[in-house]
Order: sequence, then C-alpha cells, then structure tokens
Amino acid sequence: MKIVEFMYPEYTNIYGESYNLEYLKRCNKDIRVIETHVGDTPKFITGEADMVYMGCMTEDKQEKTIELLMPYRNFIINAIQSGIIFVVTGNALEIFGTKIIGDEVMSDNKIDIRGLSIFDYQSVRHMKQMRHNSQYIGNFEGMLMLGHRSQYSYCYGEFNNYFIKIYRGIGMNPDTDREGVHVKNFFGTYSLGPYFIMNPPFTKYILRLLGLKDDLLFEKEIMEAYQYRLEELRRTI
Amino acid sequence: MFRFYIALWASKLMMAVYKILGDTKNDLPGLLASKICPNFLKLIKKPALTITVTGTNGKTTTSTLINDFLRSAGLTTSFNDWGANMQAGYSVNLIRAVNLLNKPVVDCSILEADELTLDELMPWIKPDYLLVTNICKDSLRRNGHPENIYNHIEHTLRQLGDHTTAILNANDPISSELGKDSKRVYFGMADTMRNPFENLGKDIAICPRCGGKLIYTYRHYRHIGKFRCEKCDFQTPHSKYFGEFVDFENRTMTISGHEYPLISDTIFHAFNVLSAIAVLRELGYGENEISSFLATQKVTDIRESCVEYNGIEYYTFAAKSQNVSAASTVFEYMAKEPSDKDVVLLMDEVQDKNHPTETLSWLYETDYEFLNDPKIKRVIVGGHMYLNHKLRLLLAGLPEDRIVAVEDEADIPLYVDQSGIKKVYVLYETDCVSKAVNMRDSIVRYVKEGRI
Repeated sequence: MKIVEFMYPEYTNIYGESYNLEYLKRCNKDIRVIETHVGDTPKFITGEADMVYMGCMTEDKQEKTIELLMPYRNFIINAIQSGIIFVVTGNALEIFGTKIIGDEVMSDNKIDIRGLSIFDYQSVRHMKQMRHNSQYIGNFEGMLMLGHRSQYSYCYGEFNNYFIKIYRGIGMNPDTDREGVHVKNFFGTYSLGPYFIMNPPFTKYILRLLGLKDDLLFEKEIMEAYQYRLEELRRTI
Repeated sequence: MFRFYIALWASKLMMAVYKILGDTKNDLPGLLASKICPNFLKLIKKPALTITVTGTNGKTTTSTLINDFLRSAGLTTSFNDWGANMQAGYSVNLIRAVNLLNKPVVDCSILEADELTLDELMPWIKPDYLLVTNICKDSLRRNGHPENIYNHIEHTLRQLGDHTTAILNANDPISSELGKDSKRVYFGMADTMRNPFENLGKDIAICPRCGGKLIYTYRHYRHIGKFRCEKCDFQTPHSKYFGEFVDFENRTMTISGHEYPLISDTIFHAFNVLSAIAVLRELGYGENEISSFLATQKVTDIRESCVEYNGIEYYTFAAKSQNVSAASTVFEYMAKEPSDKDVVLLMDEVQDKNHPTETLSWLYETDYEFLNDPKIKRVIVGGHMYLNHKLRLLLAGLPEDRIVAVEDEADIPLYVDQSGIKKVYVLYETDCVSKAVNMRDSIVRYVKEGRI
C-alpha cells in the first residue's frame, strides 16, 4: 500500500485540487490517501507517507500554512533529500520560498511574510491588480506538460532547479521560461486545480515513481482529452 | 468641475444618439464619461435614495425585483439592468438620474454591482443600502476565491462607514461576517427540508474566526444554512426578516406571520425574494403592498423559458459555468426535479476571448455527480470542451450510454431522444441566452420535422 498524504485539505483545496488525489486513488487500489488536518502532526516526518500533496490556498492561509510547517522545516528538507515524492500546485509553491511580499486588499499596507526558505526564490503579490490568467505548454523529461495559472503573484529568483521548460506561455514570472521547482522527487508548479487530470503522462510518471503500474482510469478518454487540449493550446497560445 | 460637465454633456449627447438608434442599454456613454473625467462617479449627484445589490448569485433577479417594485410604487428609478455592473454601467445609471445641470431627476438609483470592483467605486457613490445576497465560489479566473471577494466587500463597507446599512444573509457564514462596524440588518430562512446534497467543493471549509469545524443544524444549499462553530461563538446571526415557513408547492413564504408569493419553486429564488423583501421592508413598504407586487412576478425569461410540443416541455435554464456554486446548484435541481429528462450542457465560456482554452478546475469543483440520477436519461454535451465534459461525467459515475459528447454543438439536436422523457433542459452560461434559445428551438424544430 502506498500512502499519499494530503496536507491541510481545509486550506489547500480551493480549486478542485482534491480531485488530483481522488483520481490517483481510483487509478490504483494500492493507493491510500490520508488527510493531515490543521493541528495534526504530518505523517511524512516519520516516514509514513510515500507522497505528499499540497494544493492552492487563499493568501491568508498561506501565512497560516507557513506557521504550521515552520517547526517541520528541517523534516521537509530531509524528506525531499530522501526522495519522498512531493507534488505542490498553485500558490502552495510560494510558501517554500524565502518570502512573500506585496500588497493586500484591505489596506495600503505592504506585506512581508517569511517563507519556509527551502528554495531560493521570493514571491510578490499584486492584490490590487487584475488577476493573471494564462495557460502553458512546457517540457519535462520529454513529456509535454499543460498548465493553467490564475494568480495575483509571481515568483522571482534564478530557478536553476526548474520543473518545466515552458515553450508556450510564461514561467514563474512573465520574464522567464522556467516553471516550477524540481528537486529529487519534489515537483512544484504554479498550475492549479486538477493537474493530474490535465497531464495524464505525468500522472503515469508519478504512479511509476510510487512503484505502481501506470494504468490510468478511463485512460483512453483522458489521453484523448489531453491530446485535444494540447492541439488546441498549440493553436491558441 | 469643468471636465465633469463636459463629461456629463458629452455622455448625455451620446446616450441621446443611441436612444434614437434604439439602443438604450449601452454602457459606452458611461465609458466616455469616465474617460473624460476619471472621478465622474464621485462628482455626479446621487438621487435621494441609492441601493446597491451585490453578491455572487442572485444580483440580477433581486435588483430587478427591487427596481420593479419601486416603480410600481410610483417612484422614478434608474437601474443598470443590462448586465453592465461596473464603472461604465454605474455611470450610465447615474447619468440617467440627473439633468444637464447635475440635478437628480429620479427618486432612486438601483445599482447592480460587481463584487470585485466594489471597493474602488462605491465609496464615491455612497449607497444608502448595500445588499449582499451571498458569497459563493465563483469564476476562478476573475474572482479567485470567496475570501478574496469577502475582503473587497468588507473593504467597501469600512470605507462607507455608518452612512450605509448593510443588508446581509444570516445563513451565509461568509458574508454574514461582513460589516462589523456598519449598521447591519439580516435576513434568513428556517429549514425548508430540502435536504441538499453534499458538495464536492466547499465555499467555506472552516470557521472564519478560529478555524474550527462548522456544524450545521440545517442547510438550504451549499454552505447556506443554520451554522455554528464547534469551538467559538461564531453562529448564524439573528434575522430581522426571517422566512419562518416556505411552501414550495404553492410558492409562498411566510415572514413574521405574513404570507408572500414566491417567483419560482427553487431555494435560490426564495432567497432572492427574501432579500428583496428585506430591502423593501427597510424602506418602509408594507407587507400587503409587497405581496401584491410579488404576485405579479415570475422568473425573468433571461433565466428560464419553456416551450411545449407534443407533450414534452423544452426549457432553457441558466446555470453559469465557471461559477461553481451556481452550476452545482442547478445540477442538484436537475436531479431533484421529478420528471424524466434529457439535459443538454451548453456551458463553455465564450467570453474569454484571450483564453480560448478553458481551465479544467471548475469541472472538478462542480458536482457532476448530481447528474448521475436515473431520471436524467441522457446528458448531451458539445463544443470544444466535449472530451473534458465526457471524462468528468464518466468519473462522476454516469454510464457511457447515458453520455453523448459531440465536438460540434450544432449536432446536439440529433441526439435528443424523446422516448420516455417529459422534459428537455438546455443548461447554459448566462452570457449565451440567444445561443441557448436557438439550441432549444433547433431541438423542437428537429422534432417537428421528424428528424429525431
């Protein structure tokens, strides 16, 4: 049995992210998803999880999540180094950087939130501007990756350990074609929502990393939808 | 003020030209006014009474009810009733409300208002009443998440101070927290025994004050209901206007012993009526007056229409696609509506011209599982997202033989099977009324011609 830990679902499931794990679980009966709620001790720190998932959250909850995870910072670093799979989507990626700065809706004050500082980038929020929405096509180890981003913030840094090389769309900010973070088996992307549904080749890759057969549920249908979307994005981005 | 008057006169002239051309619902004059005079909305005089209606769902129906009642009561009103619920729409609304000398010529302005831009513009307008119908999950692309919308409305109320009375939904754990420093009036409803389905995605997962678990005594739909936090004193506030009893069969709602007519048999329209009553009662109108008016009202054709042919009813029914809460609520209605039916989904976003390929996230927050009901004989979907809809329906448990997915929407009428059904519903994105009506009429035409 492979244990997939869903971190703080009450915070990190705001755009249908839970369906990533619902789908993964239904692909293989040897996958068990456990939810770690606010106040619970994460399972991965004692090696009880084979994979950790964290999805998008509100700006307020980013700060709370950093507070919750800060005591486990060294455990997270060790877990990454030991090869535990991490899949982090949307703005959950930002909490692993050095800090989050920018503005807020309710006042003219500037925010400056210390991140977990596991990776060397910082995020800048633009809450008073229009939300940025775009799609991407990129490459990861020969797989064509599709993404949808919808956000008020961008990340800035060198991104030497990027996850995806973007060839249509933008990366971590409008001036880079480097998207996300890939260190050992840590995969982080700004793309949000049901990433596994949007990227069935990557879902197969994750299943293989878990040491499982890579058969997908409704494989014919999901691959057709992926291929159609890929062609559509090629025409339209 | 020179720029202001140039803006006012130029926009009034433009409106006059549009009127001659038969176009009275155009917000370009409003755009022109704001272009010439950026603080136009601040400088234009407001009528003696200004009411703003905002919230995720129910704005159009509720503001229309309020406007139409006030007109029937003899007041003159201005109202941005054509979906232009941002700066340009407000400008046109208020330009109509003044003369060339910037003197108000109507009694009241009703402003249907977008939530996201509220805090930029309402401090200039300073409405007397701000009705917030609810805050639910909405378009990811534009609004992000409900907490973001809450912040914008709260920021608005803080700027408006005690000038504005906030009229709030006591059954909504998100919006009921608004306006702690404002004058607040609540409306709410007793249990209607509708036993709503559990939703896949939560509009609010935990107590906004302490993060504790929210416990519901009853729910009306989604997160709307009677709630309390298991840890702190957060709970449904007391409602001044409380629907004690709702009779959906006879379409009535009782508030403080008085029976009001409803405009439909749906819970969300019951809330629209309730919130309109709360505003009108606050304005001092009597129960009987409001009841007499409501008895003449029905859901606008923009939201719902029906034609009958050969014993089968063919509906268009607004569902709002990327608005997760509205789409899920309509899917639940489809499951609970007792007729055997075919459901056509015309819910792809067509307005995002810069983003022709939609996000998938709303499909996986929306409760497609509700469509897996034996009364729904077929779900027929077309358009460029057809493969994504098909996959989502399969994952929701629908058997493949009850799903029809075609790339070309024009082919949809070919697949409506009349055998064993009483109704056909065409569910559509609200910006596509004509498209939905055309689809419904095509289906009926195909039936009449014997092509299906």
